[in-house]
Amino acid sequence: MNRVLVVDDEPQIRRALRTSLEAHGYEVQTVGTGEEAVIGAAEMSPELMLLDLGLPDLDGTEVIRRVRGFTELPIIVLSVRDGQHDKVAALDAGADDYVTKPFAMEELLARARAAIRRAQPGEPTPPSLLYGALEVDLGRRLVTLDGDPLRLTPTEYLLLEALATNPGKLLTHQWLLRKVWGQGYGTETTYLRTYVRALRKKLGDDAQAPQLIVTEPGVGYRWIAESSGAES
Amino acid sequence: MVVSQEPEYEGTADITVRGVVIGLLTPAIATVVAYPIAPTRPEISIAVFMLAVVIAAVAGGLWSGLIAGILASTLRPLVVEDPQLTFRFDDVEDVATGVVFLSVAMVVGLLVGQASEDRARASRREREARFLGTLSSTLHTREVPDRVLDQFAEVLMEPFGLSRVEVEATLDGTDLRALATTNGEVVVGGPRTSVRLLAGDASIGTLVAERPPGGRPFSRDDQLLLETAARQATAALDRARLDARARNAQLDAETNQLRAAMFSSVTHDLRTPLASIKAGVTSLLDTTVQHDPAQERELLTTILEETDRLNRLVGNLLDLARIRAGALTPTRQQSAMDEIVEIVLARMRSRLAEHVVTADLPASLPDVWVDPVQLDQVLTNLLENAGRHAPAGSEIQVSVLWMHGAVQVRVADEGPGIPLDERDRVFEAFYRGSSIPETPGSGLGLAIAKAVVVAHGGRIWIEEAPAGGCVVAFEIQGGDPQA
Repeated sequence: MNRVLVVDDEPQIRRALRTSLEAHGYEVQTVGTGEEAVIGAAEMSPELMLLDLGLPDLDGTEVIRRVRGFTELPIIVLSVRDGQHDKVAALDAGADDYVTKPFAMEELLARARAAIRRAQPGEPTPPSLLYGALEVDLGRRLVTLDGDPLRLTPTEYLLLEALATNPGKLLTHQWLLRKVWGQGYGTETTYLRTYVRALRKKLGDDAQAPQLIVTEPGVGYRWIAESSGAES
Repeated sequence: MVVSQEPEYEGTADITVRGVVIGLLTPAIATVVAYPIAPTRPEISIAVFMLAVVIAAVAGGLWSGLIAGILASTLRPLVVEDPQLTFRFDDVEDVATGVVFLSVAMVVGLLVGQASEDRARASRREREARFLGTLSSTLHTREVPDRVLDQFAEVLMEPFGLSRVEVEATLDGTDLRALATTNGEVVVGGPRTSVRLLAGDASIGTLVAERPPGGRPFSRDDQLLLETAARQATAALDRARLDARARNAQLDAETNQLRAAMFSSVTHDLRTPLASIKAGVTSLLDTTVQHDPAQERELLTTILEETDRLNRLVGNLLDLARIRAGALTPTRQQSAMDEIVEIVLARMRSRLAEHVVTADLPASLPDVWVDPVQLDQVLTNLLENAGRHAPAGSEIQVSVLWMHGAVQVRVADEGPGIPLDERDRVFEAFYRGSSIPETPGSGLGLAIAKAVVVAHGGRIWIEEAPAGGCVVAFEIQGGDPQA
């Protein structure tokens, strides 16, 4: 049974989350302050933290920073719609994902499952990923669509690799820029935009009904496709 | 209109060149006329000289008459009694005639002088009256105090032949100042005068009037007239101040009314979904009835839909509050408008599932410097609006154009359209189309869209779609405003 630590100062939200999560088989601990959250993360060793950003004592981003000091436990941030800057700051501080309040329970559960699964040790990324007609062979650095090899530039390939090896995870602009372009980058969102657009075009992903890459406006990108397993 | 640029009035007691010429000329003409008839009819020749004196006095005034009288009494004896022109002036009769001539000249001259003085005064009064009339009608418009002062300065210029008018006044603690000049140039050194602006006994300001260098000095009449004008201006200022106060009060009343309408609208919009949610939940919690699964699902669906509606409304209200607080500063970054459109369409796809949504995007589009999150919201609001008003199954088309260095985004629907006289008002907060009752929107979507577009220095407007329905279009300049 997965242990979840719920951090929110509103008792009603804590109660609603506890009820729903327990109904789905999670073991739930709830706390109401940032200090308790940091202590709880250390002492209860939960598999997931659901963290509200508007806490009475500590700034949510500060909680993430402190927790990241000793554990890589997945953190999903619960934020209000307008906290765009808070959201990005939380993600850049090390949060794994965010869900906007008010949220549908099924959405939160899906994000929670994905975050917990990503954090499971063992299972290395298979050398080859398959998404319908698209195959990404990480070992040979080869991408094929309908069996035809795609001509990707080195940067396009690095971007695709960064996205596809983090399925379901919201990757911020800053994270992607550092991963693909290097540590000195972080604000050049125009590069990212240009390359994502080119990549989408080559992969045949329709931006109006994306199957592979979803844009989170002002925040980053998310690879949404599920690999249907490696080819033998 | 000229009040006092002309000579004041023609002289009574003043000797003028014209008067002297007339005084010399008339007896000379009389001499020429009387000479041939004098030997036969001396009495007629006397009458001729008398006539000359009278004419001189009438035409030239007192001094003209006297000159003519002296000259006539000297010339007459020569012409009448001494055709050989030997000078002789010893007769009692001659002396008597001379005295009569001078008396006539004196009487006629004084009378004429009096009459012309009266006439001049009358015409000056008339000009003054006309000036004051014009002044009064100029000042009696419903203008703000600033404008009144400007108009006052301007209207004094021509009638007084001024080169500069400067008016300063303090009204309700505010300092007002107006300056009028000829062609905007200031020439100093001419005659000048100043008049105080009096409200009761208190001085509220000063008027300084200046004529061009070499201009006529200000007479006492000028001074008096300026004082009268200043009094009128003070009264007009007071009126304007009261008018402005009344207008503000009216504006306040309208704002309050709008606020009340807004409040009731918001209250209604917030309570309606809450009512549905509460009804649904209490119904589900009620242990005395047994809902079948279909009913249960229907109640739950209603609750979910109403929650979403409430969430959208609260979001819009927060946006509006942010706009009102002036906190809607765009965080501009280099963005692609077609990408923003695609993101919104991807997200809205399920909510517009009942409509046929198409996008017409150019193959290549220059980047624009906008706040992508705010523009996302604008498009979302426009699409929500279209989805709400256009019937199911109809087409909603989004197109992006690049024209004259600006990006234009158009959302066209096949709904009922918006009447011409409502096309500006739909952008007002809480305004709902009169022709479409029972629309579930909050009346905020377009107001927020407009605020965002305007914050980006752009414009937004309504057009009629070719196939009926309406097009909401907005345009934003492409360049980096900081560059």
